Amino acid sequence: MTNADPRPIELQKAGENALRIIWSDGLSSEISWKALRDKCPCAACRDESQKPQDPFRVLKPSELLPLKPVRFSTVGNYAYKVDWSDGHATGIYSLKYLREICAR
Amino acid sequence: MSNQPTNLAKIDLPGIRNVLAVASGKGGVGKSTVSANLAMALAHQGAKVGLMDADIYGPSIPLMFGLNEPIDQATTALPLSRHGIKLMSMGFLVPPAKAVIWRGPMIHRALTQFLTQIPWGELDFLVIDLPPGTGDAQLTLTQTVPLTAAIVVTTPQEVSLIDARKGLQMFEEVRVPVLGIIENMSYFQGDDGKRYEPFGSGGGQRLASQAGVPFLGQIPIDQQVAQSGDAGLPIVASHPNSQSSKAFQELASRVQKDLASFQNPVKLPTLEL
Repeated sequence: MTNADPRPIELQKAGENALRIIWSDGLSSEISWKALRDKCPCAACRDESQKPQDPFRVLKPSELLPLKPVRFSTVGNYAYKVDWSDGHATGIYSLKYLREICAR
Repeated sequence: MSNQPTNLAKIDLPGIRNVLAVASGKGGVGKSTVSANLAMALAHQGAKVGLMDADIYGPSIPLMFGLNEPIDQATTALPLSRHGIKLMSMGFLVPPAKAVIWRGPMIHRALTQFLTQIPWGELDFLVIDLPPGTGDAQLTLTQTVPLTAAIVVTTPQEVSLIDARKGLQMFEEVRVPVLGIIENMSYFQGDDGKRYEPFGSGGGQRLASQAGVPFLGQIPIDQQVAQSGDAGLPIVASHPNSQSSKAFQELASRVQKDLASFQNPVKLPTLEL
């Protein structure tokens, strides 16, 4: 059941560009903020990531700035939400999903 | 309070020791009856109890406590107090014959306001009567309130069990501990003293063992339960010695005992950026 699944016991900044998570089963994982954003599970991003990338895409001004997380907050007891510097904040990373993308 | 539906910042409810959700997959299985009687039984056992009706579209709690008319908010303070329980419901704000026709974000707002803008004060238990299903109200509550645990109500027949399974799955997904399954409308005692099980036997027990959660007991079918509910006094108060009342009191004792071990839920760590 639910309690058996690994859960984060500590979160740290791994330098400026990555997040380190220490899990309850002892695993220490690192994921870059960029990778975390690329794997944003929200409906809009998932849709976007399934399309082939447009090579002639024009970047918006906000996309030119280095992307940074501004807030990393808990959602209920099962997930985290990231508010990004470009205003994107709809991705809810369930612990299960977070573990999956960190373990990869 | 922010109006953005994406704002999922968790609410702190410092005066409330336990927040208990009463859920089901299917409608009509007796969530409100179980919630009202569980709240009354907990109060009888000496706890300070609040009962919040999270069913915005079809609030039932007002009827069960004899409060059928909307209140005048200028003269009456919320939450209302009845039989020693603090109550909040959409039914206090909207006349019974008027429909609330809202999309999800409005539900989110109303429920967040119920929780944060109603002065609940010190409570040992806040029982939340959820609407059926696994939709907006459920998501809002699991994402914003520090829910201590949930109870899933089902009736014994398969059509109810199927959806109860979905309710259980939802709580598993959002990591809210399930205290157990309570089976309502399990049987009735005929005039001949025999036990009849019109909706089949052992469904709740079976579901509990399949899902690996405790089985919390059976509530018999009892005309007095329905009559008391409709008359505005839950059966635990109106007929404390009936079989159903005893079942609810046992449920309350079980909840008190089991929640004692949930006192310190492991909180997720946070990160300051």
